[in-house]
Amino acid sequence: MTDQPRRKDLLDIQSLSVDEVNGILDAAVPFKDLFKRSVKKVPTLKGKQVLTLFYEPSTRTKSSFEIAAKRLSADVTNFSVSTSSVVKGESVLDTIDTLQAMRTDYVIIRHQMSGVPEMIARHTDASVINAGDGYHAHPTQALLDAYTVRETFGEIAGRRILIVGDIKHSRVARSTSRILKMLGADVRVFGPGTLVPDDRPEWLQAFANWDAAFAWKPDAIYLLRVQRERQDDQFFPSVQEYHKFFGITAQRFARVRDEGIYIMHPGPVNRGVELVDAVMDYDRSLINQQVENGIATRMAVLYWLKPQSTPLPG
Amino acid sequence: MPTTLIKNATLVDVNGLAESPSDVLISEGMIRKIGVGLVSPDGATEIDGSGCLLLPGLFDMNVHLREPGREDKESIATGSAAAAHGGVTGILAMPNTDPPIDTGGMVQSVRDLASKKSSVQLLTAGCLTKGREGKQMAAIAAMAEEGVYLLTDDPSPVADPQLLRRCMEYARQFNVRVASHCSTAALVKDGAMNEGPMAYQLGLPGMPAMAEELAIFRDIELARLTGCKLHIQHVSTVRGLDLIRQAKTDGLDVTCEVALHHLIFTDEAVVGYDTRFKMDPPLRTAVDRQALIAGVVDGSVDVLVSDHAPHTDFEKSADFNSAPFGVSALDFVLPVVNDRLITTGSLSWGAVIRSYVNRPREILGLEPVSVSEGSKADLVLFDPNARQTVSIEDFCSLGHNSPFIGESLQGTVRYVFVVGRMINFA
Amino acid sequence: MTKETIDTALDRVAASIADRYQDSSPVVAGIHTRGVIVADRLRAKLAALGCGVRSGTLDISLYRDDLDNLGTMPSLKNSDLPAVDGVDVILVDDVLFTGRTIRAAIDGVTDYGRPRKIELAVLVDRGNRELPIQADYVGETFETERTDYVAVHLNETDGEEGVFLLRKS
Repeated sequence: MTDQPRRKDLLDIQSLSVDEVNGILDAAVPFKDLFKRSVKKVPTLKGKQVLTLFYEPSTRTKSSFEIAAKRLSADVTNFSVSTSSVVKGESVLDTIDTLQAMRTDYVIIRHQMSGVPEMIARHTDASVINAGDGYHAHPTQALLDAYTVRETFGEIAGRRILIVGDIKHSRVARSTSRILKMLGADVRVFGPGTLVPDDRPEWLQAFANWDAAFAWKPDAIYLLRVQRERQDDQFFPSVQEYHKFFGITAQRFARVRDEGIYIMHPGPVNRGVELVDAVMDYDRSLINQQVENGIATRMAVLYWLKPQSTPLPG
Repeated sequence: MPTTLIKNATLVDVNGLAESPSDVLISEGMIRKIGVGLVSPDGATEIDGSGCLLLPGLFDMNVHLREPGREDKESIATGSAAAAHGGVTGILAMPNTDPPIDTGGMVQSVRDLASKKSSVQLLTAGCLTKGREGKQMAAIAAMAEEGVYLLTDDPSPVADPQLLRRCMEYARQFNVRVASHCSTAALVKDGAMNEGPMAYQLGLPGMPAMAEELAIFRDIELARLTGCKLHIQHVSTVRGLDLIRQAKTDGLDVTCEVALHHLIFTDEAVVGYDTRFKMDPPLRTAVDRQALIAGVVDGSVDVLVSDHAPHTDFEKSADFNSAPFGVSALDFVLPVVNDRLITTGSLSWGAVIRSYVNRPREILGLEPVSVSEGSKADLVLFDPNARQTVSIEDFCSLGHNSPFIGESLQGTVRYVFVVGRMINFA
Repeated sequence: MTKETIDTALDRVAASIADRYQDSSPVVAGIHTRGVIVADRLRAKLAALGCGVRSGTLDISLYRDDLDNLGTMPSLKNSDLPAVDGVDVILVDDVLFTGRTIRAAIDGVTDYGRPRKIELAVLVDRGNRELPIQADYVGETFETERTDYVAVHLNETDGEEGVFLLRKS
């Protein structure tokens, strides 16, 4: 593999090349290897300042980034944003000014509005990592998912991955389907008609029911988290009905197990909605592996990006 | 009154460009004489029009001026100056000011303000419903008496069809045209851009074309039922335009307008989340754009408008979801028309004169304007070859929310005449 | 240096190591990329001399002090070290120059544990140190200027054998 030119920001999957994606995934392997050592830390980003900026609550993604940055010896500051006091518009402008004043090297941002990380990236020297924006993108989730698929199956190309649930409002679905497609997997979706938008890319075919989906012989089923408030917006009548028709019920789990299908989930899991409890103990559940791989891939991303504040070569 | 002689300009009318240049003598607010080799009378200002086009001033029947209430965004003085800068000598202001223009007194006060502050002919529309709230009918008769030119709740639709029916039945009797911003709120909800693959890719909530088309259908049927004159504002979709065509074929007095940006951009422009491309109706697809251009060419689109909607930099610097809709467009109307529609072969000068000069004045019942002897001297001397790069400093408008900032446009407005009074941009 | 002189130099280094480690079996750890190859060859020679050693590899990219200056992401390789607590470690590299790589490698090894002793073996010492670091075993010493370029070509990575000194004119 050749060395990949470094970028300033990671905003989405779409703007990455296949070589870049493979470069990050390859780099994540030795990072994951470090976790076996007694000293899990390397001095790579010693003296660098990493700021996490989460406008939307998320304990696990934030922790994952924080651990990744700390294992690279960066200094991490969590910039707490009170989501309730965010005034329309004002927040983004203020944020940009604050970032410039703080002279931070990396900013990890999550925002409920699509496009905000891109806006911020345009106005700061710091490297911006999108940790999820609106329904738009969640590139590090996609990278860790791709890493997990590669680690599990050896090769991503030719694998069949079924994504189940709320495609419409899911940045995970958008980014993960795209990265897997880029790397040669066959990705399809299944979910309530209200949540599987017709405007999705043509290659992202949808199944009408579980039988058709199972008949396709997926290698892995990727369950998306159900946002309970969607039932109030009338996207489906109730979570009970969702579970019965679109979840992994006990009966469907038996079929999953018989056919040796792997299960993935971005977390946190709604037990009894997307899946029955028993799935959590299933030996082909990759959910915990996804969490561990999240740290390694995020370390690889931090290693790869190059803040503009650092001097150029020569 | 000043006298001006424009030498050697190419005159433009609904048939296009004249074959050879002429001289035009303006005095007392009128075109006195057109000919070749005219001699300047004593004390006249002489302007060399070589290489330039002399057009009748455009009339823009959909602009938002923000005065009264939001003079930080735009005032009558700045907005009308922007109009002149763009080659527009007459504008119809939408009534969504703060407070909204929904009484005879408000219409009168805007007219008074206009007479003091406006650089161009400024007329006002009035609201259909009180406070634009869609609950009670506004003082339609009183506004009609004060000479209101159009009734609309733009940029909001009237959601209640019963109320709109009543408004139409009432307005009909005072011979005022009702205009509709067509949208179905429940289908749009918090939408920020055209619903489609681009919205999916960008993760932005969509505004389906059907939300506009349903409303167009509904309002045409209400016009059919009531016999009221109807104007569909800024139609943006191919099916919406087809509905209007059918209404015209059926013999209804239904007119419509298209905003320039819908002829120039598509929803692909939203990549990058640049809020200057956030409009309502949103930028649609390439198919819609082509159909709208064809509609202007064949005349089914009556009128071109800028839908000038200035906002502060601060408001537009919000994220794409939160930013307000609208584009600051008046300042560069004619250069944009020339650079993006004429030189590209999409429209002819004849089509532009018909839809941006003649039809709006016809629809509103105004005195026609043309480059001919005896016409009111509302004129634009336009150099169609002089390139300019648009920068913020060039704006007369207080709103800088224009997608053309930093762009190079072919064509520059040199002089504008409003009833013979010269404004020099050379 | 030619194929032959490289081989003789490594023979010499192997002999000195074997001399010093007759009973304990040290970890001979090559530094990526060419240090790994040099270490492989040394281990083969040591085995022939009856000196048993354990093998290891080390990628020092994460310990570099110049990441800010890099326009491309250096591809990472796995480091593969056995337990190093209380044992002797011999780091192996192709060229010893500024000493910064070795400084990084020492940091890297100590993150795996606390060796009893760390030594350094290199094929070429070209001087111009920027840190107080010296090799314990040297195949060949080159007199060079700071701006000269020393290119080590080995069959496994370059398809030919030779060490070339390119003088900056």
